[in-house]
Amino acid sequence: MRPALVFSLLLCLLLALDGALFVDGLSRRKAEDATLAQLEVATSALGLSDLAVATEARYTRHPAVSDPMAPFMDHPGAIEHFPTGAFWLPPQH
Amino acid sequence: MAQTNLEKQLNILDYALSSLWRRRMKSLSVLLVFASVIFLLASFQMVTQALSDKAKQVLAYTPEITLQKMSAGRQEAIPLAYKDKLAGIFGIRRVVPRIWGYYFDEVLLANYTVMGMNVDEMPESARLDTALASGRMPTPDEQGRVVIGHSVKKALDLEGRNTFSFFRPNLSLKAFTVSGEFSQGTDILTNDLIIMNLADARDLYAIPAGMVTDLCVYVANPKEIDTIARKISEALPGVRVLTRPQIQKTYQVVFGWRSGFGSICLLTALAAFVILAWDKASGLSPEERREIAILKVLGWETSDILAVRFWESVIVSGLACVVGMTAAYIHVVYFAASLFRPVLMGWSVLRPDLHLLPRMAAGDILLILAFTVIPYLAATVIPAWRSATVPADSALGG
Repeated sequence: MRPALVFSLLLCLLLALDGALFVDGLSRRKAEDATLAQLEVATSALGLSDLAVATEARYTRHPAVSDPMAPFMDHPGAIEHFPTGAFWLPPQH
Repeated sequence: MAQTNLEKQLNILDYALSSLWRRRMKSLSVLLVFASVIFLLASFQMVTQALSDKAKQVLAYTPEITLQKMSAGRQEAIPLAYKDKLAGIFGIRRVVPRIWGYYFDEVLLANYTVMGMNVDEMPESARLDTALASGRMPTPDEQGRVVIGHSVKKALDLEGRNTFSFFRPNLSLKAFTVSGEFSQGTDILTNDLIIMNLADARDLYAIPAGMVTDLCVYVANPKEIDTIARKISEALPGVRVLTRPQIQKTYQVVFGWRSGFGSICLLTALAAFVILAWDKASGLSPEERREIAILKVLGWETSDILAVRFWESVIVSGLACVVGMTAAYIHVVYFAASLFRPVLMGWSVLRPDLHLLPRMAAGDILLILAFTVIPYLAATVIPAWRSATVPADSALGG
C-alpha cells in the first residue's frame, strides 16, 4: 500500500471522529436549547447580571457590577491574589 | 498533462511521507509538541467563546438599568426614597428594590450569593417555577423560606433535611426553610444563589428599614435605555448607573486574550514557534545535505525538493491542527475544560457543573490556523529554499 493511501486512511479516520463529534454536538445543542428557556426565565425574574462561574471573590462572581479597582480595595497596597483574577479581565465601564 | 502533474505530486507526497516515517521519532515529537500548542490555544478559545456565547444569550434578559449608591469609591446601601425621585422620569415602567450580598460560610469556606426581593414584582416571575427542579418560589408573605442553587444544597448537606441557619451580624441565628431548588440546568447562573424575601434579607444583613442594596429599573422602550440612564445620573448624583448593554459588553471582553492566562497561552505558543523556527532556520544536518545531494544527482530539480519540504510541513502542521483541535473540543465538551478549572474557578468552593458547547465558526478555526499552521509554514520556507539550493558535489564531497 502506498504511503499516501495510508495517510489518507488516517486522515479519513480523524475526520470520521470529527463527524461523530459534530453529530453528537447537534444533539447536545438541542438539549442546551431546552435549558436556555430556563436560564432566560431565571435571569429575567431574578434580575441576574452575571454568570456563577467563579465564586471565590466578589469581583469575579459579579464582574459586570464591580469596579475595576475592586480587587485592590481591601487595604492600602492590597494586591490581587485570587487565582481567577488571572483568567478574567477587569470590566470596562 | 494534469494527470501527469497529479501523479507527480502524489509521488512527491509518497516520498515526503516516507521521509517523515524514516525520521519518525523526530517527526512524532514535533507533531506532539505542535498538537499540544494547538490544543492549548484552541481549548482557551473554545472555553472563552462558549462562556461569552452563554452570557450573550442569557444576559439579554438582565434588568435594563441597575442602580447602586457609591460612597468613597465603594458601594453602600441605597435609600428606598430614591424610588420617588425616579417617579418624574418619563419612560420608567417599574423600579424594583433588591438586597443582594454575600454570605461567607466560615466552616465550609464557601461564598453564597444571597438575593432578597419580592419576586412578584419582577418580569417573568409567574414562570420562575419552570426553572426549579423541585418545590416552588415562596410568596411575599412567607417568611424564612428560600430557594437555593444546586451547589448550596450540596455544600449545606441538605439531602435529608430542609432547614439551615445563618448568622446575623450580631451572631444571633436566623433559620431558613428550603422551599425549592433550582434546576441543575441553570447552574451557570444559580449555582451559589439563595433567594429569599426582601424582609428576610434585610433581617439577615441587619440592613435598616428604608434601605436596599440596589434598584432594578425597567423601562418601557429599550431604545431609551441610554437617555433614561443619563437622566437618572443627573437626578441622582453619586449613584452608579449600570445599563444592560454595559453588562453585556463586559462579558464580551471579560474572557479575553489580554487576560493573564490568555497571555500565557499565547506566549507559550509563540515561544514554541520561535524555538521551532530557530531550529529549522539554523542549518541543515549532514544527513539532510547528503539526501538532497543524492536526489539532485538522481535528477531531481530544485522545485521538486521544495515541493517535498512543502508537503512535509503541510502534513505535520495539518495533522497537528486536526489532532490538537479535536482533542481541545473533547477536553472542553466531554471533560468540562478540566485542565482550566483550577484557573477558571480558583479557590471557589461552590463550583458549577459547566456544560460548555462551543460553536466552532469558520472565523475561530481561521484564528487558530493563523496562530499556528501559517507561522509553521512560513518558518519552513527559508530552510526549504536553503536545502533545495545545496550544490550536489559540495554535499557529497564534504
